[in-house]
Amino acid sequence: MAPANKARTKNTAGLPARVPAPRKSKFQADLAPSEDSGLRVLKAELQITSNTDFLSDALALFRWAVAERKRGHRILSESSTGERRILVFPRLERVAPDVALPQVDIRWTEKELESLAEFVSEQPAEPTEALIRAMRS
Amino acid sequence: MAVAIRRLEEPDEVENFDCGDEPLNHYLQLHAWTNQQKISIGVTYVAVDESAPRAVLGYFTLATSSVPRDRLPRKYVRGLPLYDLPLILLARLAVDKRFSGRGLGHALLAEALKITLYVADEVGCRCIVTDAYPDKAGWYARYGFLPLGETSGTGSQKMFLDVRTIRLASISGLTG
Repeated sequence: MAPANKARTKNTAGLPARVPAPRKSKFQADLAPSEDSGLRVLKAELQITSNTDFLSDALALFRWAVAERKRGHRILSESSTGERRILVFPRLERVAPDVALPQVDIRWTEKELESLAEFVSEQPAEPTEALIRAMRS
Repeated sequence: MAVAIRRLEEPDEVENFDCGDEPLNHYLQLHAWTNQQKISIGVTYVAVDESAPRAVLGYFTLATSSVPRDRLPRKYVRGLPLYDLPLILLARLAVDKRFSGRGLGHALLAEALKITLYVADEVGCRCIVTDAYPDKAGWYARYGFLPLGETSGTGSQKMFLDVRTIRLASISGLTG
């Protein structure tokens, strides 16, 4: 084995250095049973056998949708009778240049977010007397 | 005085509203209706006297918002659901100074909290947040609002009230 390796090294001497292959990323997703079931159905319908191919196709579709919304284009479906339905997907609306979401953005500091996360992770506080009175009124 | 609280309507008289704070006056007079009816980013509720049902005595504005999960500190997100955190923003609450001291603020906040609980039950939200003037933080604290972080550079204090606490109060209100 050693001589063969040596010979191969010699043969490649003088050629440009090989570009290392890009690192592959691995995805692991925690899916609820209903989501897992939905995934299997979709794969069967699309005749996709591997999760890698499924993710690759989904990524291509998502990338296209993001690019369209970034241009301000709407994404819609049209039935055979001409009925149109526009896709409104909150995450996609974040990249749309001209659309105001029916909600407001709040500017948070890191400390505020830390407090917020801490509070929502804890058990709820006992209501105060004033709060009980308010809810009773 | 029999007070009713309802959604802001276009014919409501807001020009003479004066809570003593110009930004809050201007919001009601110039932006509240537009934000509610045209661009749908917040709904304003007004307190009116039933004997003069167009004169606004006080108001509050609610909007929805959310915090992206990936903005929350890692040490807490493990215990949280895999979604952005939906919340209600109590954007504004003000009482005309000619009617202060009559419990209108209490009535307005009570209504805002009831709406929050209703929204939480119907579509889901985790908490109500407000940005209180420092001199009003103590008033909100009486209702259980907790300060978030430190006072901001603009002098306001974000405050938080968990929907679960509101629900507990609601149950206590029924049984107490």
